Amino acid sequence: MSLAAGAVLSGLGVGLNSAVGEVFFVKPQAPLPEWTKSSKSAAEEIAALKTAIANVAASLAALGERAGGTSAEIFEALTFLLEDEELFELAESHIEDGWSAPAAYGKAVDTFAELLGGDADFDERVKDLQDLSKRVQADIAGIEMALALPEIGRIVLVGEDFSPADTAQFTKAVVGVITLKGGPTSHTAIICRSRSIPAVVSCGAAASLNNGDTVLVDPVGDRVLFGGDESLATKAITYIAVNDEPIIPVRANIGTLADAENASAKTEAVGVGLFRTELLYLNSKVVPTVDEQAAEYASILAAAPQGPIVVRTIDAGSDKPVPFLHMPHEENPALGVRGFRLIQDHRDFIEDQLKSLEIARVKTGREVWVMAPMIATVQEAKQFADLARSLGGYKVGIMVETPSIAALIDQLAGIVDFVSVGTNDLSQYLFAADRMNANLGALANHWQPGLIRTLARIADGAAKGGFSAGVCGESASDPAFAVVLAGLGINSVSVSVSQVGAVREALSALDIGKAKEVANKVLLAISPEEAKAAALDALAAL
Amino acid sequence: MSVFTHEVEVLDPIGLHARPASQITKLVKESELNVEIGRPGEEFVKAKSALMLMSLKIKTGEKLTLTVETDDEAKAADIASQIQEFLKG
Repeated sequence: MSLAAGAVLSGLGVGLNSAVGEVFFVKPQAPLPEWTKSSKSAAEEIAALKTAIANVAASLAALGERAGGTSAEIFEALTFLLEDEELFELAESHIEDGWSAPAAYGKAVDTFAELLGGDADFDERVKDLQDLSKRVQADIAGIEMALALPEIGRIVLVGEDFSPADTAQFTKAVVGVITLKGGPTSHTAIICRSRSIPAVVSCGAAASLNNGDTVLVDPVGDRVLFGGDESLATKAITYIAVNDEPIIPVRANIGTLADAENASAKTEAVGVGLFRTELLYLNSKVVPTVDEQAAEYASILAAAPQGPIVVRTIDAGSDKPVPFLHMPHEENPALGVRGFRLIQDHRDFIEDQLKSLEIARVKTGREVWVMAPMIATVQEAKQFADLARSLGGYKVGIMVETPSIAALIDQLAGIVDFVSVGTNDLSQYLFAADRMNANLGALANHWQPGLIRTLARIADGAAKGGFSAGVCGESASDPAFAVVLAGLGINSVSVSVSQVGAVREALSALDIGKAKEVANKVLLAISPEEAKAAALDALAAL
Repeated sequence: MSVFTHEVEVLDPIGLHARPASQITKLVKESELNVEIGRPGEEFVKAKSALMLMSLKIKTGEKLTLTVETDDEAKAADIASQIQEFLKG
């Protein structure tokens, strides 16, 4: 298939600069041979495996030297995995059972990949291991795995996704990168961001490009333009303030005393929209007493920027364990006993947390709102609200993260004083897409119409129920999206300390009527690209 | 040979992940001693394999037992204290 000049290939942008270059397609490498039993002796196969491991170790050492710095340490760690003794012994035993060297090593790696699987901390290591396994198998089969990139010219690398070993081979001729798969948190995206290489990931349509095509990599526009030049690159929008204050309050997200102090000293945030309390407990071996907790809360409340302080009760689960709560391993931690569900076994702890907050609230005289995470039913919301009201004089609310409670917002009337939407988890549960899975990055995009429509319903439900609705997820840190949220009827946003200024600027550049117009255009979109483009077009026209 | 038992605690916020595991493995290989690590009461693994250590999926705050096979009690204590350092994160 050939593309017409100006054809647009959509993806997810990484970085703020654009680049023009010639497409250099990294072909999926030749398939590895199938795993078979060997006709050679075990001694010969073991010797072949040792040679292959040594060859791969040598190539990793060479890559490490070329990459230098922190990347060199990554390659040293990879070599350690490659040469692991137990891994080799397991492979040896497979060879003694008659398997060929590539099959034996592949099977041994699979065994360890399974042992390490199901734990988010090890997902990347499992990918590294499998990549090493492929390299060893390719070496034995004589298949070339190096990228062989040109050293001169301006090339835009196109491939399925790139491993750490691939990205280390990027030459200075690589001016842009396009991947067909992989999300905004993939290894490729992280490396490109840190090395300021413009990239567009999750760009499936790039499969129709050919070597030598000239393309514009336009991350701000979340797209690649076939035959485009720099003049067509999307500019990041600059907002010009027309009001002194943003149309809805911009609060800060904090987790520690240092965050609270930073938010006060460096931003004009109005209060705190999300105080993540679990950070205070992750390193405690024993349960802190009410007095200890109250003292810690009081110092943070006192340091926080002026305005209300929204405190989220503990949001831990088996993937984010608090040592003294002894959380058992779960198959699906994101769908397990986490957040307010801990009340089943740890009611005392949640009560102590609320009591400590009440002592700190009275002591500091600050306006405190408390909310519980992971609420799925109206009954749970009521259970939390009743408990909190019996223990203190704060405003009481819940996080909206589950699709089930998002559908019932108006029924929270008379039960809560406010709700706060955690868009990261709401997306994960709405789209049934693991936040940590790079293959599903496109679904984690906050411009997804399914998420935006849900946010509109939440805002409507809260207005109907007569209480306020805020957003404290990552999505609110995108200035254009914060405008859309205000237009949808969201009453406040809370963003990371570093984004408070940018979000305030965007929300001060228009009035609420204009924000509603922008939101209404975005609500008509049927794809995330269309939604974002509609917002940016409407904002640029201001 | 005697077997000396020591207790260590994982303080690294990410738990026993790839970096401390490979530091431990390097140390144990250099010592040429048989060192095993595990949760108290559960099956132990050989500390000369970073992959085996990682496969225990040990999280921050967990206490571990380690055994060192040697006749040199001071050396065993030294290995245990170095391993504890690696687990501080």
